[in-house]
Amino acid sequence: MPVSEAELASLASTRDIIHLGLIADDLRRQRHGLRTTFVRVADVPAVSVEPPVLPPAAGEIRICGVPATLAQAVSRVAQVVAAAAGAPVSGFSLADLEALAGAERAPLRTILEELHAAGLELIAEAPFDRLQDARRAVEEVNIAGLALARLTLQQLESTFAVALYQAVAALQRDVAVVRAFAPLPRLLNPAVPTTGYDDVRRVALARLVVDNVPSIQVDWSRYGPKLAQVALTVGADDVDAVSAIDDAPEGRRRAPLEEIRRNIVAAGQSPIERDGRFEPR
Amino acid sequence: MTIDRIADKVAAGGRIDAGEALALYRCAPTPTLGRLADAIRARRHPGGIVTYIIDRNVNYTNVCVAKCSFCAFYRPVGSAEGYVLGFDEIFRKIDETIAVGGGQLLLQGGHNPDLPLEWYEDLFRAVKARYPSFRLHALSPPEVIHLSRLTQKPIGEVLDRLIAAGLDSVPGGGAEILVDRVRRALHCYGKATSAEWLDVMRHAHRAGLRTTATMMYGTVETGEERIEHLMRLRALQDETAGFTAFIAWSYQPEHTELAGSEATAVDYLRTLATARIVLDNFESLQASWVTQGGKVGQLSLGYGANDMGSVMLEENVVRAAGAAYCMDEMEIVRNIEDAGFIAKRRNMHYEILGDPIFRDREIPRMLALSTSRTGGGGSSPEELRMYSARSLAGKRDRRQD
Ligand code: SF4
Repeated sequence: MPVSEAELASLASTRDIIHLGLIADDLRRQRHGLRTTFVRVADVPAVSVEPPVLPPAAGEIRICGVPATLAQAVSRVAQVVAAAAGAPVSGFSLADLEALAGAERAPLRTILEELHAAGLELIAEAPFDRLQDARRAVEEVNIAGLALARLTLQQLESTFAVALYQAVAALQRDVAVVRAFAPLPRLLNPAVPTTGYDDVRRVALARLVVDNVPSIQVDWSRYGPKLAQVALTVGADDVDAVSAIDDAPEGRRRAPLEEIRRNIVAAGQSPIERDGRFEPR
Repeated sequence: MTIDRIADKVAAGGRIDAGEALALYRCAPTPTLGRLADAIRARRHPGGIVTYIIDRNVNYTNVCVAKCSFCAFYRPVGSAEGYVLGFDEIFRKIDETIAVGGGQLLLQGGHNPDLPLEWYEDLFRAVKARYPSFRLHALSPPEVIHLSRLTQKPIGEVLDRLIAAGLDSVPGGGAEILVDRVRRALHCYGKATSAEWLDVMRHAHRAGLRTTATMMYGTVETGEERIEHLMRLRALQDETAGFTAFIAWSYQPEHTELAGSEATAVDYLRTLATARIVLDNFESLQASWVTQGGKVGQLSLGYGANDMGSVMLEENVVRAAGAAYCMDEMEIVRNIEDAGFIAKRRNMHYEILGDPIFRDREIPRMLALSTSRTGGGGSSPEELRMYSARSLAGKRDRRQD
C-alpha cells in the first residue's frame, strides 16, 4: 500500500478531500496515465422468454436479475448469446449464484460450468459483502473458465470502508483475477443518500488501499455523470454502465457516447472505449 | 506569468487581472484551483460556518415577451399554458414558507406585458400588510427594465416605487453572461444589455438595497467571456459594495430552443473556484445544488462556496429545463456538517439567524420541490381585471377591448 497505516487512518476521516484526491489521482496516473476506459452496456432481464433486441453499440451484454432455476438461467444465457453477435455476454451476481447452488443442491462450480457451456463469458458482479465465501467463489469462477467483470460492494457504511477495502485487497492477493473494483455501494438509500464528500473519500481510499486491482470503477448510470466525472479526478479510471442506446433525440452532442467522452475530456483525461473483455473497441 | 506564480500571488492575497484569471481557469490543475479558493473561503469565513436560507422561489408568471433561447420556462402571450399567480395563491405560499421557518420569497417571473407596475406595488403592499416582517427578494434587473419600458419611467423611479411598496432586495438573475456578444447570441440582449443589467444593480445599491449577482455559464460564451463577466461584477462591487453574494449555475438545456449539452461537474467546480479567486471583494459564494445536485453541491464547499443557498421549497425555471434536485433543510444541514462545517440559517443579508429549525421543532420532510402550478395549466386570477392589459390577448381575457 502506498501510504502507511497511520496515514491511512487519518485520510479515512479527513475532510480535506482535495488533499486525499490528489494522492489518489497521483496513484491513478502512475498506473493508467491519462487513460480512462468506459464500457457501453446493454442490460437484459434474466427472467424473460422474449428474445432480446440488443443495441449494436453494446460492448457488453449483461443479464440482470435473479434466475429461479439453473435451467432457466442456462436457457436465457443461450438465447442472449445467440442474439449477441459476438459481443461478450456477462450475467448474474455471484452471490445469487451461490444461493442458486444451495437451492439446486449443486456445487457452485457446476452452476458456473453450465453457464459457461451455454456461452456466458463473465460473471457480471461479485458483491464482496454478500458472498458466503468470497475467495472460494471467485476461484470457482476462474476454474469454471469464466471471468469476473467486477467486484462490487452491496452496502457500505463509510466508517467500515477502509476495513472492507483491506479485505478486498487481501482477497485479490489470494485470487489475483479481479480486474475491476467498484467501491461505491450498489444499494442506494434515496432517503439518506451518500454525500459527495463520502463518495469522493471512498473512491480515493479504494485507489489507495486496493492498489493490487488494476481498475477502480464508477457506475455511470447508478451514480450519474456528475459524481462519476468527479470520481475520475480522485482515483477512478474506468466507467461502467454507460448506456448502449445511442439514439439522440435532442442532438448528437447529448448522446451517451458523446456525453461520456465529453465528461472524460473535461476531467482532463483521454477516453478509451473498451468491451466487457477489457479490450479497446 | 506561470500558473505557480499566479497561484503564489493569489495565496498571498493579491488581486489578479483578467489574463491571470483566464490562465488559472484554463490551465491550473483542478485541485490547485480548489486549494486556492478554499483558502480564500477560510480567510473570509474563519469560523467554519456554512450558511443557508429558508425561502421559497416563486415565479409569479410564466408569460414572457423576452423569449431567451436558453429558457424552457416561459410561455408566449396568449398561450393556454400561461399563468399569473393570484394574490391569494401567493399568500398561501407565504403561509407554507413561514410554517417551515422561512422568512422570504424569492419572487421572479416572465416579462408579462399585462402586469402593470401597479400590480407589483399592490402585491408588495398586500404582502407587507399581512406579513410585516416577511422579506421580498424580488424582481431581477431585466424585470425592472421591463417595468421601466412598460411605464416609460426611469429605472430609478421604478425602483423607488417598488421599494416604497415593500421591495427589500434584488436577486441577481438575468445576468447570464455580461458580454453583449453572448447576450445577442442568446436572444437576451433585448431584455437587458450588460450595461443595463449592471446599471439596475448600481441604482439598487445606491438606493440602499443589497443584491446578489449570478452567472449562467455553459452556453455559447468563451473562457475569456466568462472571466469578463466576473471582472464586470468585481468592478461594480468596488464601486458600490452592494452585492452580498455570487451564484454561478450551469445552463440547463432540456426543452430549450438553444438545446445542446450541460457543462460538466468538473467545469462547475473550476468555474466556482475561479470566481472565488477573482471576486475578492465578494463576501459570499453560493453552491448551486439545484443545478448540480446535492453531491456536487456539497463538494462546492471545498471549492470556495460558503453558502448552500436556499431550501427553496419551490422551483420552476431550472426544473422546466431538466434539473429536478431537491434538498430540504435536514438534507442541506446533513451535507454541510458531513463536510466538516457548522450549519447556520441566515437571511438575505447573510446575517446569521440561528441554528437549523428542524432541531427545535418537527418539520415535515420534503422529497420534491413544489411548482407554481402542480397541474401546470394556465390561469388568470380574478383580480387581474382591475389592471389594464397591454396585449390583445390580455385585453380580451380581461374584456378590456
Ligand atoms: S429567462 Fe426570463 S426573461 Fe428570458 S424568456 Fe425566460 S422568463 Fe423570459
